[in-house]
Amino acid sequence: MAIETAERDRTAEPKRARSSRSLDAPQRHFRWIVLAPTLGYLAFFTLLPLVWVVALSLFNYSPRRNGSSVGGLGGDNPFVGLQNFQQLFDFSGQSQLSQTFQTSVIVTLIFAFIVLPLNLLITLPLAVMIEAAARRLRPFLRTIFFMPVLTSAVAVAVIWQYVLHPQYGLANSLIGKLTGETTIISWLNDSSMSVLGVPVALIAVTMAYLWMDIGYNLVIFIAALQGLPKSLTEASLLDGANAWQRFRYVTLPLLKPTILLTAVLTMISSFQAFDLFQVMTAGGPDNQTRVLSLDIYENAFRFQSMGWAAAESLVLLAIVLLITLAQSRLLRSKWTY
Amino acid sequence: MATVSMAEAAPSSVTVVGPPRKRVPLGRFALYLVLTVAGLIAVLPFLWMLFGSFKTGQELRSIPPTFWPETWTLDNYRTILGDPDLPLLTFYGNSFFVAIMNVLIGVFVASLLGFIFAKYTFSWRQPLFWYLLALMMVPPSVLMIPNYLILKELGLLNNLWGLIITVIVDPFAVFVMRQFIVALPNEQLESARIDGASEWRIYRSVVLPQVKPALATLGLLTFMFNWNAYLWPLVVLTETEKRTLPVILTAYSTQHTAQLNLVMAASVLIVVPVLIFFLFTQRWIVAGLTLTGGK
Repeated sequence: MAIETAERDRTAEPKRARSSRSLDAPQRHFRWIVLAPTLGYLAFFTLLPLVWVVALSLFNYSPRRNGSSVGGLGGDNPFVGLQNFQQLFDFSGQSQLSQTFQTSVIVTLIFAFIVLPLNLLITLPLAVMIEAAARRLRPFLRTIFFMPVLTSAVAVAVIWQYVLHPQYGLANSLIGKLTGETTIISWLNDSSMSVLGVPVALIAVTMAYLWMDIGYNLVIFIAALQGLPKSLTEASLLDGANAWQRFRYVTLPLLKPTILLTAVLTMISSFQAFDLFQVMTAGGPDNQTRVLSLDIYENAFRFQSMGWAAAESLVLLAIVLLITLAQSRLLRSKWTY
Repeated sequence: MATVSMAEAAPSSVTVVGPPRKRVPLGRFALYLVLTVAGLIAVLPFLWMLFGSFKTGQELRSIPPTFWPETWTLDNYRTILGDPDLPLLTFYGNSFFVAIMNVLIGVFVASLLGFIFAKYTFSWRQPLFWYLLALMMVPPSVLMIPNYLILKELGLLNNLWGLIITVIVDPFAVFVMRQFIVALPNEQLESARIDGASEWRIYRSVVLPQVKPALATLGLLTFMFNWNAYLWPLVVLTETEKRTLPVILTAYSTQHTAQLNLVMAASVLIVVPVLIFFLFTQRWIVAGLTLTGGK
């Protein structure tokens, strides 16, 4: 054992020494010219903010008040330790702020867990169908579904506000034509309406979100389908498999890694959704669409309670890191073919 | 078992890689029916916006609403373009400035760092690269609050440079560039060195020309993300004159909720020109998005 490691060390040592020596003067010089400003930049614009946001979460900080020390912390912005976090998870219902935060976490979770399955259930079959369509039609179809991805989320929100308008909107008018009755659904304002316990406003924003987001996963799946080895599907054809069997037993298993990765990315981005919610409903009605990012934004910049908002944002970070961790576990397991 | 019998009952509505001989016409019909309906859902909101922008305010408020405008009018566009409170050119300029600067700086920095990470060895290369990858996981809302305070200290709030200086090193872009440059053969760099080329010269004349497609793709993606960005510009730019297009569109739409025809005309003016540009370049955008599955 000991000899073995010693031997390994001896072989590793000269290699490393050589590689760093092989960088002669001009290379080392160039490397430093590039890396020195980079490190300075990363320290100032990435490391400092990370430290700062953690520090803020430990203070009752508002930029409106003057602090006594670095970064306006201390003094009128007192150090409160973990109090912000304790209050975030205070379920007694006494604090309005904690309740709003907790509501926003629940809304975000519901949103993310609706978006993920619906997104995959739409994009995967749609990708297979587009690939099955006539070759000349494919680019056209892909473009149509990709257009919303290219459009700014704010414009999407504004367009959908008009589509969902109670009186002048397309949605109600179409529903009215189908049912034969005049329909006036206040998609974005009626807090009393819900489907299966999900408020109709949240459903409305989810629809707009799906409409906007589908093209993204769609092109990823199309690319994955095009990358599949043709030999496998051809072999299953010779075996007499029908279309569904080919999809279920050949295509789907082959796509599994892509599906998993896409699922995680979809999940992470839906946890951070902000634009549509801020523009379409601003969290209303009755906080039914107040997602976490929106609550963080409002607390930080509208109410200027940045200590509280910083603590909230760290919870968001924790959620995203948890999903990422779970993802790397899943991806590392045996999903390779 | 159940799935198999179900599959037999409903034959190929979905063809994965279909040879022409075994096609069931009914299946093809169902396929195109579904695709048509889905396509309509994708397109209708755009048409609703477009047609809405050509309707008179009166027609837009008619119940039930019309789809195809009964009387086409350009008045909405005239009002928008003549509105002194909405100097669209200024906002186009702001958006364009931010997006272009971020493309130029971002692609330059990412390619340079990608080159360093791909072709230079130094003991802390791996930790630094991991740090960059870890940064990709941090949600924008986390860095937004301290970055706002930093910009405030620097006096860069309400300054377009505030939207540029905070994103100079884009971890995603560095990652992509590294993947491309690492594939270039080392012998090329070595022979250039033997010929007496400086490192800078190697970067410019050996590395860059060979990764042009990656540069174009990254440039387009950066342009698109910046052009459509909302949250950070909303935080940084509070003076109307300084705002970018998405921020101004929200402001305009909340001020004119009663005049949806104007809001739709504004949306068209803000969305359509760039959408056309993106549609012409979508091949590269798609390539970039599918490259790493990263957003």
